[in-house]
Amino acid sequence: MKYVTTIGDEEYIVEILDEQRIELNGTEYVVDFDELGDQPVFSLLVDGRSYEAYVYPSEESLQVLMHGRFYPATVEDERERRLKAATGSVITEGVEYHLKAPMPGLVVEIPVEQGQQVEKDDVLVILESMKMQNELRSPRPGIVSRVRVEANDSVEQHQTLLSID
Amino acid sequence: MFKKILIANRGEIAVRIIRACRELGMQSVAVYSEADRQALHVRYADEAFLLGPAPARDSYLRGDKIIDIAKRCGAGAIHPGYGFLAERADFAQACIDAGLAFIGPKPSSIAAMGDKAIARATVSSAGVAVVPGTEGEGNLSDEDLLSKAPDIGFPLLIKATAGGGGKGMREVKEISEMPALISSARREAESSFGDGNVYLEKLIEGARHIEFQVLADQFGKTIHLGERECSLQRRHQKLLEESPSPFITGNDELRQHMGDVAVRASKAVGYVNAGTIEFLVDKEKNYYFLEMNTRLQVEHPVTEMVTGLDIVKEQIRIARGRHLRYEQEDITLKGSAIECRINAEDPYNNFMPSTGRITHNLLPTGPGVRVDSGVYPGFEISPYYDSLISKLIVWGETRAEAILRMRRSLEEYKVVGVRTNIPFHQNLMDSTRFIGGQYDTRFVEERFSMEFYENLKGTVPEIAAIIATLVAHRQNQLTANIMQRSPRDTSNWKWLSRWERMQR
Repeated sequence: MKYVTTIGDEEYIVEILDEQRIELNGTEYVVDFDELGDQPVFSLLVDGRSYEAYVYPSEESLQVLMHGRFYPATVEDERERRLKAATGSVITEGVEYHLKAPMPGLVVEIPVEQGQQVEKDDVLVILESMKMQNELRSPRPGIVSRVRVEANDSVEQHQTLLSID
Repeated sequence: MFKKILIANRGEIAVRIIRACRELGMQSVAVYSEADRQALHVRYADEAFLLGPAPARDSYLRGDKIIDIAKRCGAGAIHPGYGFLAERADFAQACIDAGLAFIGPKPSSIAAMGDKAIARATVSSAGVAVVPGTEGEGNLSDEDLLSKAPDIGFPLLIKATAGGGGKGMREVKEISEMPALISSARREAESSFGDGNVYLEKLIEGARHIEFQVLADQFGKTIHLGERECSLQRRHQKLLEESPSPFITGNDELRQHMGDVAVRASKAVGYVNAGTIEFLVDKEKNYYFLEMNTRLQVEHPVTEMVTGLDIVKEQIRIARGRHLRYEQEDITLKGSAIECRINAEDPYNNFMPSTGRITHNLLPTGPGVRVDSGVYPGFEISPYYDSLISKLIVWGETRAEAILRMRRSLEEYKVVGVRTNIPFHQNLMDSTRFIGGQYDTRFVEERFSMEFYENLKGTVPEIAAIIATLVAHRQNQLTANIMQRSPRDTSNWKWLSRWERMQR
């Protein structure tokens, strides 16, 4: 199976030959890959060199955390890639974005109003949790289509706070 | 004299105090909220009593209930830890009124140091320099502020009295721009805090935050245990502390002067027990009194590592009316210690707090490593309390060895279930400015970045690519397996008809 994995601006062609062998950009390596217990921690031995990483799935990518560094990676197999190239990339724009509470907490302030135009990184909600006030920011420009909570509301984790169109 | 101590706190510091009790042969009593039934301090203590619901105001801040429990279970003393009730003069007084020893300073010292104006006036009259400014002089008018500004000198800061987080703060370079800046600061303070009052403070450029640990017994003997460097902060929260400070190392005269000043400031309020005098130090090594923390500090372990003293046990001995066993000359700083605060927060997402159940917790060990932790696998990090999971402390013969040891320990430390700021500390350990000791209180916020592209040295993106691909490949296979037919190689319809025939 052949994959195209992107980290930053760099593309890596990774082909999985069998259980022990992979090819990275045309060079073959002997690997031993194992999941440590029931955790998102993985151990990789590459030609005898030992690496350990946390891998967290996120919406569009896998977040690899290794040696205190963070590598957001997107992995596509060749078929997916061909499909995507044919349809063009139309993923984020046009779809409503729902801001969800990353943790339970208390809504301190909502500095935006329904119908307001916001830019990327504008503060949408200030949420207090663990004795800290946390600013939740907009991931992209858009219009606040719906505000679902008010200041002083207690919210649960993953509760939708507002939506951006 | 008391033999049983109630610990009015939770988390790692409650565990730390219970350990001191154990070593001294004292009985320990934990108190806990409904969210903390399974917490480590409840498991480690000899006795444990429920305080109330999870929010701190219904549990760990219920001084009345805590004193009640202490009296019922026969505890003779209360250790407040840090935070919660630690710096509440009324609580310290209530303990004493109930016939309990308060393991900390006298209520009058807490009150004196808790009021900025009194604290500044008291230490200035003891001949200690304070950061020049008008804090604590009440709410001054624009005219008063303008007339006092030249005495303070430029550059200076206009700060909101109710302030914090840089809101309502303005930097003033000369008097001509001041009236406009005062009104804009007032406006911002008014809208942020509902209080437009401001004060002036001299701007200390390149300021470092350096504090001195003091110990004082009930007989007036006061010593200091050297300094802690606490300049690495984010939003006024300390993230890493070290002792000795690389800024003071090699300048014993400065350390001695500042230490003397710390002792004098403590004596000025009749201080008893452990306390900390905080200073701001400018580039020219002028130092100014900032405030006194009248309690045990989070970062006390770095001082313990370099002095060899157990500060919590000293606190208990002092509260039991013992004489300090040390003279100032006995205190020397050996080697170098660094503490990283491990918080449940995501350094890649604006340090957003992270809650959840800790599923895996592999602690670093080995030479020169200490972990003060309050969690274990299965424990839930709740949103009710602060995000401190543990403190990782290392000691090295030299600062360089301590840094290398910290790097090694951070790599060993594995916490799964919540995001932690361990990667932040790892990046910090690699930063040349940190290694060189070249940092001030603005370093983390203004000159440090977690950006991926910032420093590509030592990165292994191709390995990350392999790992990501293998994980994705496994996930694909798992999904494929679910979609596959059942292991019975014939169709389910055939199985059904065979089964029906058997039933005939």
